Amino acid sequence: MTPAALEAIGLSKSFGGLVAVDDVSFTVAQGTLTALIGPNGAGKTTLFNLITNLYRPDAGDVRFLGASIAGLAPERIAGLGLTRTFQSARIFPGMTTLENALVGAHRHLRGGPLAQMAWLPSVRDEERRVTARAEALLELVGLAPFRRAPATTLPMGAQKLLEVVRALMARPRLLLLDEPAAGLNDSETAELSGLLSAVRANGITVVVVEHNMSLVMEVADEIVVLDAGAVLTRGVPADIQRDRRVIEAYIGQGAGAH
Amino acid sequence: MEQAVQIVIGGLLQGSVFALVALGFSLVFRVTGAINLMQGAFCILGALSMYSLGQVFHWPTGLAAAGAAAAVVAVGLIIGAAFFVPGLSRLPVSGMLIMTAGMLTLAEGLALLVWGSQPYALPPFSGEAPVRVLGIRLPTQGFWIAAVTAAVILGLWLLLTRTTAGKALRACAENPVAARLMGIDVPRATLASFVLAALIGGLGGIVVGPITSLQFDTGRFFTIYGFVAVAIGGLGSFVGAVVGGLLLGVVEQVAAGYVSSLFANSLAFGLLLVVLLWRPSGLFASGPQRRTDVRDENRVWPPIVRLRGRSAAVAGIAAVALLAALPLAVNSVPVMSSLVITFILFIGLLGLDLLMGYAGQVSLGQAGFMAIGGYASAILATNHDWSPLAATAAGIVVAVACAVVLSLFTMRLRGHYLALATLAFGLLVDSFTVGLTDLTGGPSGLVGIPSFRIGPYAFDTSERMYYLVLALIVVLVVVLHGGVRSGFGRALQAIRTDQTAAAALGINVARHKLIVLAISAALAALAGSLYAFYFHFLSPEMVGTPRSLEMLAMLVLGGEGTLVGPLLGVAILTLLPTVFQPLAAYKTFATGLLLVLAVRYLPGGIFGTAVDRLRRITGGRGTAPVARVPGTLS
Ligand SMILES: Nc1ncnc2c1ncn2[C@@H]1O[C@H](COP(=O)(O)OP(=O)(O)OP(=O)(O)O)[C@@H](O)[C@H]1O
Ligand SMILES: [Mg+2]
Repeated sequence: MTPAALEAIGLSKSFGGLVAVDDVSFTVAQGTLTALIGPNGAGKTTLFNLITNLYRPDAGDVRFLGASIAGLAPERIAGLGLTRTFQSARIFPGMTTLENALVGAHRHLRGGPLAQMAWLPSVRDEERRVTARAEALLELVGLAPFRRAPATTLPMGAQKLLEVVRALMARPRLLLLDEPAAGLNDSETAELSGLLSAVRANGITVVVVEHNMSLVMEVADEIVVLDAGAVLTRGVPADIQRDRRVIEAYIGQGAGAH
Repeated sequence: MEQAVQIVIGGLLQGSVFALVALGFSLVFRVTGAINLMQGAFCILGALSMYSLGQVFHWPTGLAAAGAAAAVVAVGLIIGAAFFVPGLSRLPVSGMLIMTAGMLTLAEGLALLVWGSQPYALPPFSGEAPVRVLGIRLPTQGFWIAAVTAAVILGLWLLLTRTTAGKALRACAENPVAARLMGIDVPRATLASFVLAALIGGLGGIVVGPITSLQFDTGRFFTIYGFVAVAIGGLGSFVGAVVGGLLLGVVEQVAAGYVSSLFANSLAFGLLLVVLLWRPSGLFASGPQRRTDVRDENRVWPPIVRLRGRSAAVAGIAAVALLAALPLAVNSVPVMSSLVITFILFIGLLGLDLLMGYAGQVSLGQAGFMAIGGYASAILATNHDWSPLAATAAGIVVAVACAVVLSLFTMRLRGHYLALATLAFGLLVDSFTVGLTDLTGGPSGLVGIPSFRIGPYAFDTSERMYYLVLALIVVLVVVLHGGVRSGFGRALQAIRTDQTAAAALGINVARHKLIVLAISAALAALAGSLYAFYFHFLSPEMVGTPRSLEMLAMLVLGGEGTLVGPLLGVAILTLLPTVFQPLAAYKTFATGLLLVLAVRYLPGGIFGTAVDRLRRITGGRGTAPVARVPGTLS
């Protein structure tokens, strides 16, 4: 039996007195697209931070493709093929759009830093390959015309798309996206939706935190609902849509949820 | 026993001024989130003003003290309003560090212009005769120091807890956005905290002046000791500042009393490194965990500027041809010599630019690596008959080894802590080059260093050295230019602005920082060695902390992250004083001023700004298109 792409086992984290994530367990099967939803402050981002070990969990374990990654340094986790994006687009200022995308390919670059600095022939070939791939991906999301523009001059939505492209450049085996559609206009959201479907068609497992329900319903195979740090329920989109508790969780939160 | 008590009391007195500097640090840090490297300079300005008013103009002590305090407040007000406060809203943390390093240099330059470079001694306020209490001799100044320190602490506490102005300051410290909404004028409160910190520092300097030696540049020691105190106590904690300061004073005096002052210096800086490693947040700091999933800073980062492809190659070849022909046009010996120095320093700056401009690691101690490499190779070549080439290589190896050890301490440090650890490193190297007299020749320097030679060929004239260094520079620039465009260079640039996001993409941040620090140390060591072989002489001030600060100014002025831009910065600060001799006295002052102005008004430095302008004028290729929202998925 193939191992699950991701298994969170009893993850907990509190900040001072606030329990942000409370004994959360869930499994993501390989090749699926899972949406993680929940009202503001439910602990979705914190859960990502625990999985990628940006924060050390108070308790619990994380398994990636069957092996525990708890306690590994974030760059080791990324090196295994688990790539994430951030809720606030964290493109690298000072670099161009293309360079930003190329940083994503870092884990595939062969040769040490010195070989890279010296542009050995193998490095040169590699560089040509990743550049071609980056250009193709930028083309796909409509960012190609801006590949030489400083990335910070892109509008917010484009920056978020760029961050997804950058993550894809890492050829991840599991992709964690934190609210990729926040700040995107309708046409950008449509492009994102197309991109996500393409990603899944390529066999990449995806977990996406998203408030945009129509996007979630459109692309997700499975939905995990988080509320107040705990898993409220999980299921296929059609069931979640009808689940009263989910609606209550959002309504109870007031107008805050979009 | 009696001696021990005396030493501890001496330590507490000395520690009082560290505590006051530390209080100033914490106050400014709490309100603004920035570290003011100039803090220690206020002590020196206070003490030296006190000297002038009391000893030269013969004002009575009380009046002189008040006058000196007023002078410090005035300087604080001007520098705060002109540079510090406006900088805060525009510059990232590293920019503010550079800005305050410039302010420190500016203050030192000002003190140098007014008081010259000789040491001063202030007389005690109440006479030289010590008082005997329980058989222990106490200097009368000790009572003044204790009283003023206590008064300042009490006053600050009352101000912050009991007055509206103090509450406004605290509100700014806790939440500037909310404070603004509540109608508090945040820039004014910021300026007020800056000036208040200046006053505290000035008072410290005034009372402690009689028991310390005073010179125009002693301020940086107060800054670093104050910071060590803050680091021990916890940045932003007032109790921690006082406890840390007193503790540091005692440790330092005990070490100096029982071992040596060289050991005391090393111990203090060593203590800083250990605290940073063991408990980066200090002994007293408590606060919410920082959200690492939010970007460290949202302030603007200047884009990394570069000429592209063909135009870069053409401009480069033209520049090299011009520089190769330059000696034909120069027939002045000092100018020729200054050109060689410019080139030698530029080698060190290439490393600094890689480290700071590309990887974003602020270094205030780069000359420390120049010293390590320079002294190591000079000693090997002079006293042990190594060939200069082998000695230079050995110097580089030693410097890289030191960089590796340093990075064990600084690996996890960011922003303020990293910058101050590098400053501490530089000062530590200073105290070794001065203190290890047998090895380095001490303050008077190492003499009789041979010329650089490769096999039988000696580079014993300025012209020969010029072409040697020019050739080296061309090779280095070509290699580094390729380097910064490679995957390695991209990783560095990613680390520069966002280490968390870089790590999330699989970049091993610590390893890259180590490599870039090692490269920069190697280049600095190379520069230090060439410097020694060219001058046949090496002294601590040629490769000391002032040199580190000067290199910082050269880098920022020329253009960070431009690789070749710093050459302009070096040329301006090295050639101009040579060509116009009268300027030499103003050099420190001008260095500071240029640094401060460049950080504030020239984000890409001269080179970056020029390239930008050029692009705009030609309007052609390479111009960044303004991004518009892409339409559909094409
Ligand atoms: N570093 C931190 N320190 C203190 N509290 C934190 C930290 N990180 C998260 N929290 C708190 O944990 C809770 C969960 O936050 P989290 O960001 O995970 O929510 P979220 O589900 O991602 O919400 P949103 O939809 O708004 O992004 C919140 O109350 C938040 O304030
Ligand atoms: Mg979130």
